[in-house]
Amino acid sequence: MAIESIDFALCNGCGICVRNCPMDVIRMNRETRKAEIRYQADCMLCGQCLECPEKAIYLKPGWPKPYLLGWG
Amino acid sequence: MIECDVLVIGGGMAGWFAAIKAREQGLNVLLADKGYVSKSGETIYAGDTAVFDPDAGNDLAAWLEQVDVIGEYMNNRHWNELVFRDSRERLADLRSYGVQFEEKDGRVVRLPHPHANIVLPDTHKFPPTVSEVVHWLPGFPEKVRKHLIKIGVKLKDRFMVTELLLQDGRVAGAIGFSIEGNRVEVIKAKAVVMSAGGGGFRPVGYPTHELTADGHAMAYRAGATITSKEFVSPHSTNPKDPAWPPMYLFFSAGHSAAQPGMYSAPHLFNAEGDEVAARGVAWHGWIDAEYEAHEGRAPLIADLGKRGVLPVSGPGGHGSMFGHATGGIVPVNDDCATEVPGLYAAGDSCGTCFIGANYSGFGFATAHAAATGARAGLGAAAEAKGLGADGGIDEKAVAAATARLLEPLERKGGFTPNWVTQVLQNTLAPYFVLYVKHGDRLQAALSTVEFLRDHIAPKLYARDDHELRLAHETKNMILNAEMKVRSSLARTESRGTHYREDFPGRNDEEWLAWMRLKQEDGRMVTFKQPIPAEWRPDAAKSYEERYPMRLPNEVPGSGAPNAAGEGR
Ligand SMILES: Cc1cc2nc3c(=O)[nH]c(=O)nc-3n(C[C@H](O)[C@H](O)[C@H](O)COP(=O)(O)OP(=O)(O)OC[C@H]3O[C@@H](n4cnc5c(N)ncnc54)[C@H](O)[C@@H]3O)c2cc1C
Repeated sequence: MAIESIDFALCNGCGICVRNCPMDVIRMNRETRKAEIRYQADCMLCGQCLECPEKAIYLKPGWPKPYLLGWG
Repeated sequence: MIECDVLVIGGGMAGWFAAIKAREQGLNVLLADKGYVSKSGETIYAGDTAVFDPDAGNDLAAWLEQVDVIGEYMNNRHWNELVFRDSRERLADLRSYGVQFEEKDGRVVRLPHPHANIVLPDTHKFPPTVSEVVHWLPGFPEKVRKHLIKIGVKLKDRFMVTELLLQDGRVAGAIGFSIEGNRVEVIKAKAVVMSAGGGGFRPVGYPTHELTADGHAMAYRAGATITSKEFVSPHSTNPKDPAWPPMYLFFSAGHSAAQPGMYSAPHLFNAEGDEVAARGVAWHGWIDAEYEAHEGRAPLIADLGKRGVLPVSGPGGHGSMFGHATGGIVPVNDDCATEVPGLYAAGDSCGTCFIGANYSGFGFATAHAAATGARAGLGAAAEAKGLGADGGIDEKAVAAATARLLEPLERKGGFTPNWVTQVLQNTLAPYFVLYVKHGDRLQAALSTVEFLRDHIAPKLYARDDHELRLAHETKNMILNAEMKVRSSLARTESRGTHYREDFPGRNDEEWLAWMRLKQEDGRMVTFKQPIPAEWRPDAAKSYEERYPMRLPNEVPGSGAPNAAGEGR
């Protein structure tokens, strides 16, 4: 579902994903100093967080809120 | 309070050029972006840009003719010429900023309009095209970002601008907040360039959700005129995973910046197994697909040959993608100044009516953004230079704007932005509202949009900084919805991507005019702006010659003089 997970063990806290996300889905956790998914519902699947140098981020098709197409 | 000479709002192609050109005039330039410049906006997804080059044998008259025919005479020929003529210099500029292009033997490769490298099935009809594009190589936004920093443009990333601040009738700056931490800041400027892109309704399958027509909305509220909101940007997605890119799956072509080259456009079949003849309207046959759905023959299947078959599904609430370069803030001169003193507009925010009623050529949007960006940057710089010591901004006005900005956070309860956005999407996404339009249905949508505007929007509430951003975006989307629905209602004919089931034909008698809107006494009014006589199609030509693209159930000349065209 959208951005699915950030591997805690792999994340090096560089913040590239936080910076890259145009929808402000990811934030840095001040205590753990690692990136975390804070607003998953707003992920638009642009995939720019995949620039992660540690390949710690996983995306999946679909997003967790209902959506309506023009027809279907 | 931050001070600068020129404030540029939005850092895509248009904002890049505006900032660079203004900075080259020796001014103090601030570029603010909701996202991180080089990672936000539509520009980063574009793969090509149109370059008109007489030395490569390009013929201006032929290029203009292409835009006339595909743009169905809603294009502004003056701007077509300016942008085409500027494009070669903008290409040279981009190269000098370090952007790399597809080259062969040290020369940038020029490609014909992709219809030359997309093999269209014979069931697709499309007017001939002559324009040409060049491709940049991946990583170009980062190259420009580096250049911006190198020449001393100040970047303010992840800062959302919410309102233009006026002083004595002219723009004196803007107010906004940082996306993280909601720190409110006022930016004082002698001139402002609005280059915040276009806007849709957070479409499924297209990564443009941060574009919520903020620029159009801010300028409208400051008194600017907005044009051509009735035209839409039809793009399909696929029903298997509608939210999952590939977002480039037009059903007539598998064009992708990531994989340029030769494509076979798919044959399209309806649920009964009959082939759908795409008549080329809106350059990829979207109306035929919408109409198949309307008649109960969806889903459609695209036969991609060796690449298999692909179910396609209707777009929902795009409204902006590739509708770019049509709707937007009306410029009043070649420098992209607007009716609001001190305010300039560029790129998708700027309503030059460059492309007309259909997307009339590949690469036109970025070429338009680059040309208008450079012009707006130079215009804003000249104006800023001409101003003496600046007068400051009234403190009371700043306090009121700050209160408006923070209002959703102050509320104890109300409506969440995501819920309101969903209601708006449910109102606009179905094909029968903004794609296959009808007066009755538009009226129904308008009632809902007005209710959202009057009753819901004032009660939007935000539980944190993230939702504060969403709340302001939602307000802007509601305003954009009103613009689109009102303009669609007012244009009582069909033209380009504006298809009215109740008026299924172009009506040159009434509608060789742009649909404009602006705020008057707090209300949105629409009015016609006639297209100059010398740009109108030759009346001696038959309807079919003027309009080679066919519409479902077409009635040539159908349409009605409509009081709404001039009224309110
Ligand atoms: C998937 C896709 C493919 C495309 N392919 C092509 C192509 O191949 N060729 C072509 O010519 N065109 C293409 N286009 C269209 C083209 O990219 C755009 O028309 C053009 O880039 C618009 O440039 P711009 O600078 O006006 O806006 P954008 O690039 O959209 O930039 C607007 C910027 O403003 C910022 N912003 C918005 N609101 C605010 C606010 N309130 N405060 C601060 N900042 C704000 C945004 O974060 C963004 O960075 C494509 C578009 C898409 C979506």
